[in-house]
Amino acid sequence: MATTLTIAPMTRVEGHLDVEVTVDTIGGTQQVTDAKCTGAMFRGFERILTGRDPRDAVLMTQRICGVCPISHGMASSLALENAFVLTPAENGRIVRNLVLGANYIQSHILHFYHLVAPDYINTDGILDMSPWRPHMAAPDMITGTTATALVGNYVKALDMRRKAHQMGAIFAGHMPSAVSFVPGGTTKPVTATDVTAFRTLLTELRSFVSNVMLADGEALLGVFPNYAKIGKGCGNLLAYGVFDLNSAGTAKLFARGRYTNGTLGTVDTTQIREYVSHSWYTASSGNLSPANGVTEPAADKAGAYSWVKAPRYGSVVHEVGPLARMWVNGDYRYGISAMDRIVARALEAEKVSNAMDGWLNELVPGASTYTYKATPTTGTGIGLTEAPRGALGHWIQIGASKLTQYQIVSPTGWNASPLDDSGQHGAMEQALISTPVKDLQNPIELLRVVHSFDPCLSCSVHLVRPGKKAEICRVDVAAGV
Amino acid sequence: MDTNKVMTAMGVSRRDFIRATSAIGAAFGLDMTGVTKFTSKAEAKETAAGGLPVLWLQAQACSGCSVSLLNSIYYATIADLAVNTLDINFHSNLSAATGNLAVSAIEKTYRQGGYALVVEGAIPTAANGEYCTLWPGLTALKGVKRYAERASVVIAAGTCASYGGLSAAAPNLTGATSVSQVLGSGYTVVNIPGCPMHPDWMVGTIAYILANGTLPALDAQGRPTVFYGKTVHEQCPYLPEFTTKYSKRINHAGGRSCLDCHSRTDSSVPQSRALGIGGCLFALGCNGGQTHCDCSVRKWNSGAVGTPGVNWCVEAGGPCNGCTEPNFPDGMAPFYSLNGPGVDN
Repeated sequence: MATTLTIAPMTRVEGHLDVEVTVDTIGGTQQVTDAKCTGAMFRGFERILTGRDPRDAVLMTQRICGVCPISHGMASSLALENAFVLTPAENGRIVRNLVLGANYIQSHILHFYHLVAPDYINTDGILDMSPWRPHMAAPDMITGTTATALVGNYVKALDMRRKAHQMGAIFAGHMPSAVSFVPGGTTKPVTATDVTAFRTLLTELRSFVSNVMLADGEALLGVFPNYAKIGKGCGNLLAYGVFDLNSAGTAKLFARGRYTNGTLGTVDTTQIREYVSHSWYTASSGNLSPANGVTEPAADKAGAYSWVKAPRYGSVVHEVGPLARMWVNGDYRYGISAMDRIVARALEAEKVSNAMDGWLNELVPGASTYTYKATPTTGTGIGLTEAPRGALGHWIQIGASKLTQYQIVSPTGWNASPLDDSGQHGAMEQALISTPVKDLQNPIELLRVVHSFDPCLSCSVHLVRPGKKAEICRVDVAAGV
Repeated sequence: MDTNKVMTAMGVSRRDFIRATSAIGAAFGLDMTGVTKFTSKAEAKETAAGGLPVLWLQAQACSGCSVSLLNSIYYATIADLAVNTLDINFHSNLSAATGNLAVSAIEKTYRQGGYALVVEGAIPTAANGEYCTLWPGLTALKGVKRYAERASVVIAAGTCASYGGLSAAAPNLTGATSVSQVLGSGYTVVNIPGCPMHPDWMVGTIAYILANGTLPALDAQGRPTVFYGKTVHEQCPYLPEFTTKYSKRINHAGGRSCLDCHSRTDSSVPQSRALGIGGCLFALGCNGGQTHCDCSVRKWNSGAVGTPGVNWCVEAGGPCNGCTEPNFPDGMAPFYSLNGPGVDN
């Protein structure tokens, strides 16, 4: 008999996420047969930005999310530069990459050790205190000396992610968000002392990522090889690419591209459409490019269950994230699964941290970090980059030197989207469907699949439809803005 | 619980936070009596009798203040706090428990009472608060009121919880407001604003409360004066440069700040600085004169116990955007008041 399971609030994600699945036994295996990732949030961020000085968007959009603010700052800077027809200063481009890289390292460390690992380690007898107790128990969890060692690294990782932010702050002003990002580059003059201080921390972090985190990732894979067969989902991958290696952005550390129905392809932004058939928006808000997107709430819309729109590339569902970046770039093509996402993320942390050491060498202390250009009266811009958890785009319009349109399509929009107009589930819903569930009281498998995506719902807001007390609409920050 | 085993596994020194209270004591100008009290509390946690229970709830938050908390080290690290000092019975980003198991942990803490309630994010009040639920059936509006009832102290983490912040920026469709507005006059809410908040402001305040059993002195905006008593401008390392360039234009009489006399859009103020050069950013829209906090001396992202941070906004060439004030962001924006780097005129 089919059973409905609801996990709310889902912890160890950024923000709040509620997951509802139907579990039934098919072919002798108890498994998920339907899934709804109800995320959504209407904080009205796009409305907040409208009418403001365009340059303020770099600071304000960083407040959408406290875990990936740097990525929003980057997307916003790129969108503004696109609209200003402005090329950032070379030092500024490099500094922004270094700050973004610092946040990638801290985010990937945080995700692996502090958000994911508690799903796989039984901490009884090691951490018998909150916030690690109570915890969901599963018989396959790692115990004994291996667990003790992993917990030791969990604590070491708290220190390491802190140091990654300390490193980023050298050029960002402070972390988690950066004050130094502006269209045209960055405001922080670069000194030789900065470079040395940054490199000292980077060296320590590179050692941790390569020697500790990668080893722990491989250990996890060794104990849980079955999760390399669980949580595949749609199998299509999309990456906007990130870390521009020249000021024109024509070369990137991670290339722009996609992997659709088993074939690699290029990205044409005009193929991106957002659908709303199962989202609480008016029909006229659907089937539009974010370049001229409309966001009109329709809280009582029949059949809808999320405030997240459903972004699709050429009508096809795509997954975004480190695995997509590594796959498109040719760095990792072993498989698509919950465990592949975790391993690819760790490998990406190593690749980024190694590249950063080279970027430090390219900085020219004393040389300009910033190129000025006046705010244009009118303009349009697109800023495509990658948050640690996947493709992020800002689409803007400027009129009378003010923002007249601001649309954000976030990674969690791609991954945690609801059904679209064609009846296709979002990537995370597809990954949940067919996931085996051994114990209905302890559906640890669902946590492992959801956490592998590193969902970012940082608005932490669940929306109840006005006037309807019992019905809940949740909030996805990233997508809902 | 085998404490030694835990400490070995965690690699955490149980003395760190006790040592930190000495630093706090010095910062607050306290005698060591308070530290002794606090030490007893920390010792209690070591003997598994429990530390200060904490419920950390997120409403219209972005998790930025939680991430900032993880960067704590000046007074204590987050590991030290979690293992030795606090019983963090719920935190959305850290709790191993999820779903109903997490809710049961929260309810158990509520029944026992005597905890610190920390709220991150603004509370939407439109539509009876139904724009934000902590979990199905409980709006943030009701939840914050409920969990404040039995709390021994209520702390607002960040500017959204303290004053509404970004969440309440115009046009504020959800009617977002602060924790103190929601709870009303029956409660004293300790506001720790900042977008994000500085981890030291939160950890230092908690240490003070544990050490003394009372709240620290608060200013009219509910902020601990030890951290928020002076403006960024008053403590700014670029103050001499400011004085040289702008002093003839400034009249501090009557306690007014420079910006009371010279608004950022005053065309008579020379646009003498370009972004990307550094130094005093008054002419580029710096809000330091009207912003209360110790960023300019404490700085951000410290690397060691008792050590100032590695950088802060103005040192990084970014004008202070006034994020610890009740009128942030709308009263502070536009953040770059001049249309690009001007020239001396």
